[in-house]
Amino acid sequence: MSQSAPNPARARANGPASHAGDGGVTGWQSAYGRPEKVRSHRWRAFMWSLVYPYRGNRLMLTLPGGIVIAVAMGIAAAAYNTANNILFIALSLLLACLVFSGLLSWVNFRNLAWRLRVPPPLRAGRDHAVTVELHNGKRLLPSYGVWFEIAATGEKKTARLPLRGRLDAQGATTLEWTLRPAARGRLSVEVMSAASLFPFGFLKKLVGSQLKREVLVWPAPVEYQRSPVASWHQPGGVERAMRAGQGGDLLALRGYARGDSHRLVHWKASARLRRLMVRQYAAETQTGFSLWMRTSADDWARPEQFELLCSLVATMAEDLFRAGRLMSVAFDGEAPIPVRRMHDLERFLDRLALVKPTVQTYESSDATVSVRRANVLTFAPDGARGVIAYVDGEKAATA
Amino acid sequence: MSMEKKRPQLNLTELYQLKWILGGVLAMLSAWTVLYMDVEAWLWLALTTAVTPVVMRWPVLTLYVPRWAHRLAFPLFVALFAADYYLNREPLPAMIRLAMMLVLYRAVTPRKRRDDLQLIILGLFLVVVAGVLSVSLVFAVQIVVFTGCALLFLMVINLIDSAETGQPAVEFSASAPPAWMHVEWMRLARRLHEATDWRVALLSSGLFGGVVALSALLFFALPRFDIGNSFFLDNMITKQSKTGFSENVRFGDVTDIQQDTSVALRVEVSDRRAIPAELYWRMLVLDVYENGLFSVSTELADQMRQQKRRVARILGSSRPRAGDAVWTFYLEPSTTRYLPMLGSFFQTNFSGGPQDYAINDELRMLRLEKVPAKMFAYQVDGMRIEDELGPVEVVQSRDVMPLYRDVPDDIGNRERPPARMPDFLKLSLEPADLAKVTEWSRELATHPGGAKMFARVACDWLATRHTYALQMKLEAGDGDPLVRWMNSNTPGHCELFAGAFTLLARGAGYPARMVTGFHGGSWNEGGNHLSVRNSDAHAWCEIYDTASLRWVRVDPTPGAALPGQVAAKETTEAVLARIQDRSWNARLDAVRMFWYRRIVDFNQNSQAELARDAKSAIESYARGVKAVLNERLKTIGEWLSRPWDVARFAAWIFVVGAAFGLVLGWRYYGRVLWLRWRSGMTRKGADPVRREAGRWLRKLEMLGGAKEGGERAAVRAELERLRYGPRQSWPSPQGAFRRAKRACAAKPANG
Repeated sequence: MSQSAPNPARARANGPASHAGDGGVTGWQSAYGRPEKVRSHRWRAFMWSLVYPYRGNRLMLTLPGGIVIAVAMGIAAAAYNTANNILFIALSLLLACLVFSGLLSWVNFRNLAWRLRVPPPLRAGRDHAVTVELHNGKRLLPSYGVWFEIAATGEKKTARLPLRGRLDAQGATTLEWTLRPAARGRLSVEVMSAASLFPFGFLKKLVGSQLKREVLVWPAPVEYQRSPVASWHQPGGVERAMRAGQGGDLLALRGYARGDSHRLVHWKASARLRRLMVRQYAAETQTGFSLWMRTSADDWARPEQFELLCSLVATMAEDLFRAGRLMSVAFDGEAPIPVRRMHDLERFLDRLALVKPTVQTYESSDATVSVRRANVLTFAPDGARGVIAYVDGEKAATA
Repeated sequence: MSMEKKRPQLNLTELYQLKWILGGVLAMLSAWTVLYMDVEAWLWLALTTAVTPVVMRWPVLTLYVPRWAHRLAFPLFVALFAADYYLNREPLPAMIRLAMMLVLYRAVTPRKRRDDLQLIILGLFLVVVAGVLSVSLVFAVQIVVFTGCALLFLMVINLIDSAETGQPAVEFSASAPPAWMHVEWMRLARRLHEATDWRVALLSSGLFGGVVALSALLFFALPRFDIGNSFFLDNMITKQSKTGFSENVRFGDVTDIQQDTSVALRVEVSDRRAIPAELYWRMLVLDVYENGLFSVSTELADQMRQQKRRVARILGSSRPRAGDAVWTFYLEPSTTRYLPMLGSFFQTNFSGGPQDYAINDELRMLRLEKVPAKMFAYQVDGMRIEDELGPVEVVQSRDVMPLYRDVPDDIGNRERPPARMPDFLKLSLEPADLAKVTEWSRELATHPGGAKMFARVACDWLATRHTYALQMKLEAGDGDPLVRWMNSNTPGHCELFAGAFTLLARGAGYPARMVTGFHGGSWNEGGNHLSVRNSDAHAWCEIYDTASLRWVRVDPTPGAALPGQVAAKETTEAVLARIQDRSWNARLDAVRMFWYRRIVDFNQNSQAELARDAKSAIESYARGVKAVLNERLKTIGEWLSRPWDVARFAAWIFVVGAAFGLVLGWRYYGRVLWLRWRSGMTRKGADPVRREAGRWLRKLEMLGGAKEGGERAAVRAELERLRYGPRQSWPSPQGAFRRAKRACAAKPANG
């Protein structure tokens, strides 16, 4: 509950969702926050909003509200027909209650700010927590009964995230939604509106929200079977990797950082450069693999098979990276990209999320690959549904 | 992390319990409308009042009602309603009883959302109908309380809906009741107390007060159109008038009314000088006496001519005079259909719109078609206060309904008997009784002087034989009870005196009749009106004086002034002082009068008058403010234009300097002293300095704690010390707060 509180003024100024936030979080949005003009001419904008409501701001009549209005109309008809002041009193009280309801509803939404958090990475077929963070910026009054209509592309219907209890003044809370993306690709998660029936349920008040977050959904992980090829278990296959590690080969020199062992200090270099320099050794790794994904539409005519390909490639890439044996990745005719860090793998998975079958525009063959580099994983359709992975032309795995 | 203690929240079980209790309260509030609605629904009222608290305490009892009973409930209610209507032929009471049944059913069975809404609607129906039928001040209190409870009820329902969103519905039964059905009142009250922020509760109460104020404003501001119609609910219920004020009066009926001390009539007079020393509110003239029963003869009843057209304004039989007072009457519901008057009048206006009525100018009687089921207001202009009824000043041509005797008999072309004049000399007594009365009358009629003298003598005679008593017991015996009383020395009440005098006068050959109504009243200084209570019900007589050709009022009850007796002249102030009522009831009555005068009787004219009053008040206030301002400016101008010398200049410098010093002193030291003083007074944990520091810390937090610079961090450290540190380590609070203010006002360096 104790989070950094949003500045409502800034939240208003931010207006639409910011895509630059870290950790998949958008900017804050408040109930009555609107375009920048509002700040300087708030009252004028407010008055105009009564005539032309902002997009998404709506008031909808509920069943109890309909009953109250019908009763009020009935009493009004009887009151005017009979000039009976008791009926006028009842009518006045009903009208005042409607006004009171509107006032409390306005107060309930006042200084309420929220933002959307869609923490990456997202994978197809896996559950992910999407949260709406809600902050009540009021100084005294709590907020009740608010819910958010939230939707993601591909989802059949919008989900409702309710605030079940009381949100105290200056308090914050998170409302969680479990999202399971159906397929890889670009996914848009949007808070459609904030709504409430508070206080009496006469009217459903909808406040349009512009919070939207676009995220990439990586392919779903798949089960695959490795074939017992020699490359998987190559003996003595320890080789030097081009990244820092605990190997015996010197990779580079770098400046001393707190925590470095004194044994690593390169005294000669330190004397020459007049600052402490330490040795950085190269990591040792097993025999690495290069992963080459060809997306020719001729080979992958069936969409589901292509999806399986993407999933297999993603799964194998991650498995190999975890084992420290993924050297590089490549798409079609592009140059191989070395994978040294997590970030490289993530970029590859990002591309995998969006890749589509392409029309072949280059000449390639397995022979060419084998000439250029050894331990190259390539993929081919296996019948109508499956996918086979080859290592240098030898069957290595199936899915 | 905040150090403030977090208030607990009510969980779903407690919300359900609260909803259940509020529903029960609403049901009882609705049912209690029967108390002032005057509808026979006591059984349902008693059941609701007895059963609802029980199921409020033990909701689990509601689960023991078998399913078939629920299925049978609504057909049973419909059958009961149909039978009720068939037997009584009154739709509104039947509907009220049906609503009561449904309210009771909803109060004692588990409710879903739609059932809760039904309960509110039924309750609102009962409250509004009760208000319309009774026009009682209780309605105002009840509808405000009902609205408050209903809004709270709806809010709790809404909170429950929010808490339950997306959760599956749980089935329950008597063997497995839901947790909320085990209500522990004390625990719930404690939890409510813990969960409620008194500031929010206070604000909510204030807002609800605002709702009431807004509704009052709307009430006065809603445009009124005079469509001129009568309310349909009036026609759906029949009311009986009090027996003493009906066409048949048995001995004891009027005195029965006298036991009731509630107000029957309120009268507002535009000019209090018009109030006479003796107030006799005439209502009904009775001319027949038989077997202990006074009644209206057919002949006399025929003289009350029913008018063809419903009107809101009736022209009377007296001429208007300059300076005539306007009398506004507010007659309580179910009192009578005969409108109390002091005498003839120039015109009468009905506030409730056009009415069916009957009138007799000679008798000074005005009768409505039905007994008013609600408060009935009428305004009388040019009312004469008549001790003696003479011939009418103006003979009005009236559009009367034909009597059945005036309509030819179509069957056999028979002639109807012609309408006869009432006989005010008739004595319908047994011979023995008649002989006694005649003998007494002869004895009394020996004095010369006509009817007035006879009246005095007869009153004296009665006063010597009988004393006044509200309660009396007449010994058993043969013959007419009134004659037996006259023959005894038993004390009696006004009806007996009036009845006896009528018999004596008739026996002596003087036409006489009995009149019922009210005598007296009390002056309510707060409400500026006369209150006439049911205990003021009275019976007196009128005797016809052949000399003056007038009917002379005679009140034979001991203590009343006799005809021709000249009472000491009293000023209006003396009269009002004599009848003034300063009791608490009178103060409450003033409120009720305000309710009738300003709320119930509010109409298009009142609205225009109110608008005019508001306008003139605003204009007058603006003029006053302007005058004060002008005066002040003039004074300042004069003061400035006076020659300046060293002393004046020094005085001026001193005043300005003192003011400046005061402001600065308060800014730098006053607040500190005040905070210190408060911190010494308040309990541990509620130190105002710590609270103020917490406030500034929250402000800084709002401005974004992550990106703050060095100065702001230092301020924060100081504030944290004030907020959480030991008192000995505090920096100067005022300085810290000043720096915090500066830090909050300054723009952050990184924008």
